[in-house]
Amino acid sequence: MSSIPHDQVPGHAVDHGRAHDDHAHHPGGIMRWVTTTNHKDIGTLYLWFSFIMFIAGGCLALTIRTELFHPGLQIVDPEFFNSLTTLHGLIMIFGAIMPAAVGFANWQVPLMIGAPDMAFGRLNNWSFWLLPFAAALLFGSFFVPGGAAAGGWTLYAPLSVQAGMGMDMTIFAVHIMGASSIMGSINIITTILNLRAPGMTMMRMPLFVWTWLITAYLLIAVMPVLAGAVTMLLTDRHFGTSFFNAAGGGDPVMFQHIFWFFGHPEVYIMILPSFGIVSTILPAFSRKPLFGYASMVYATSSIAILSFIVWAHHMFTVGMPAAGQLFFMYATMLIAVPTGVKVFNWVATMWKGSMTFETPMLFAIGFIFLFTMGGFTGLVLAITPVDIQLQDTYYVVAHFHYVLVAGSLFAFFGGVYYWLPKWSGRMYNEKLGEWHFWLTMIFFNVTFFPMHFLGLAGMPRRVPDYATQFTDWNMVATVGAYGFGLSQLLFFYIVLSCIRNGPPAPAKPWEGADTLEWTLPSPLPYHTFETPPVIK
Amino acid sequence: MQTATPQRQTQARAAQKTASLRVALVLLAIAAVFFGGVILAQYSGAPRVGIGVLGFAILGFLLAAIGRNLRK
Repeated sequence: MSSIPHDQVPGHAVDHGRAHDDHAHHPGGIMRWVTTTNHKDIGTLYLWFSFIMFIAGGCLALTIRTELFHPGLQIVDPEFFNSLTTLHGLIMIFGAIMPAAVGFANWQVPLMIGAPDMAFGRLNNWSFWLLPFAAALLFGSFFVPGGAAAGGWTLYAPLSVQAGMGMDMTIFAVHIMGASSIMGSINIITTILNLRAPGMTMMRMPLFVWTWLITAYLLIAVMPVLAGAVTMLLTDRHFGTSFFNAAGGGDPVMFQHIFWFFGHPEVYIMILPSFGIVSTILPAFSRKPLFGYASMVYATSSIAILSFIVWAHHMFTVGMPAAGQLFFMYATMLIAVPTGVKVFNWVATMWKGSMTFETPMLFAIGFIFLFTMGGFTGLVLAITPVDIQLQDTYYVVAHFHYVLVAGSLFAFFGGVYYWLPKWSGRMYNEKLGEWHFWLTMIFFNVTFFPMHFLGLAGMPRRVPDYATQFTDWNMVATVGAYGFGLSQLLFFYIVLSCIRNGPPAPAKPWEGADTLEWTLPSPLPYHTFETPPVIK
Repeated sequence: MQTATPQRQTQARAAQKTASLRVALVLLAIAAVFFGGVILAQYSGAPRVGIGVLGFAILGFLLAAIGRNLRK
């Protein structure tokens, strides 16, 4: 079972954190954050960093949308537009979504398994503090001769072999972020395997912990592959090798194979922790245990394994034998089965539950609705002949934003609202939280739903100009994008006002919440579970 | 509830630290092999075969890693 009833956790463990709060020795001011090895501090750093990157990446997106408001060239030249799309993708994926997921893991994994901290505190600190340097490299590349990388976040050869100095900075940034991810994953896996409280067997772990365990394995498996690919790119650029340089006998298509061998599991790296958050929120507000816990674990594992055998569906137009096309098409469709199991279980969890609709629950339900839509458009794109028509159109842009924005981001918002009372010891403004949800929900759909129509009508992605028949829906999408962006300022205000002067939160503000962290006081003491609780 | 002596607690903590270090080193070695493997595969004359071998190695690693932990 994933949930731990309160009466199964001995009282001494419950009160232990409070008793030891006076042991919270740490430096004050900036040095607290620079030198911290505490999982809660590092979780906070990750979450703030990801929010800053989210706003920065969002500003790039708004510049893109402003350019696309009308056909013709308005505010940026085509080369800079390509840099904007490239950096928007890289920053949102490596700077916003992945660090946010690691932030949640840092806060919640030790608390949910009854561990005092992460297994390697200093490694944890180092994993985080690499990220600002990687972000500085990415943003700094805008100001070097030749500008930032402009070949798309996929860094396809041969364009990336020929690009300027900005590409080198991007490659180094990817290396640094990859190293950070690998170190973080090692830490998370070791923590989960070795530091669980007595009685916390694998099949009693909350699903969020399970999804992160599987995500961490995925990261260990694929981040080195990406690092290898960009290393070869670097040697092709500067050391005379020809891995991907056709002029020297290399194979540019091989880069695409290697990249997507990383890239498709990467999609699940971004979405699996969100599955875990939603699987935590839904039972709490349905006041029922998660339906089909074991099947959720197996479905998550199946998704992870299948993610390794579908990469070439990103490359149907590159050309491959019919047997290869059929294999990758059917393998991709197969992922709908475990994903369907998850969606079914989420709905079944809510079925006949005593549901209430506080902000975390709204975001969780919004997640299910929109992620399922994104999943269905993924199925459409899995069909080879359809994909060949829709490749590199706005339909693809709509699809992956439904998966990654309405999927990952909605779950992260839900997670923040759900755990913020525990983290900060204060309640957020529920009414404003609901406003944030509805504004985000409406403007998200205003922005991205029209992109399905644009894609089906043939509008290509990554272009600063377009034919006039696409104008109307582009205008709608741009208005939606501004609304969506401004709605996130409301989120910033809600979090800030909650932390500064929200009313005190009880130890367990959500009636149906039953994981270990809710047995601790709010706000959480600096050190928790120094003596592990015993789970009976 | 058994009360552990400070000495026993120290021993348990040291054992846990060693076990954690062992897990971390194994994971790091796997990451290093995948990193080197994807580059070395390019030198094998048939890179697609090399990548295929690497892919199955990763799949096997995932199956073994998750399967092994499920028994606990």
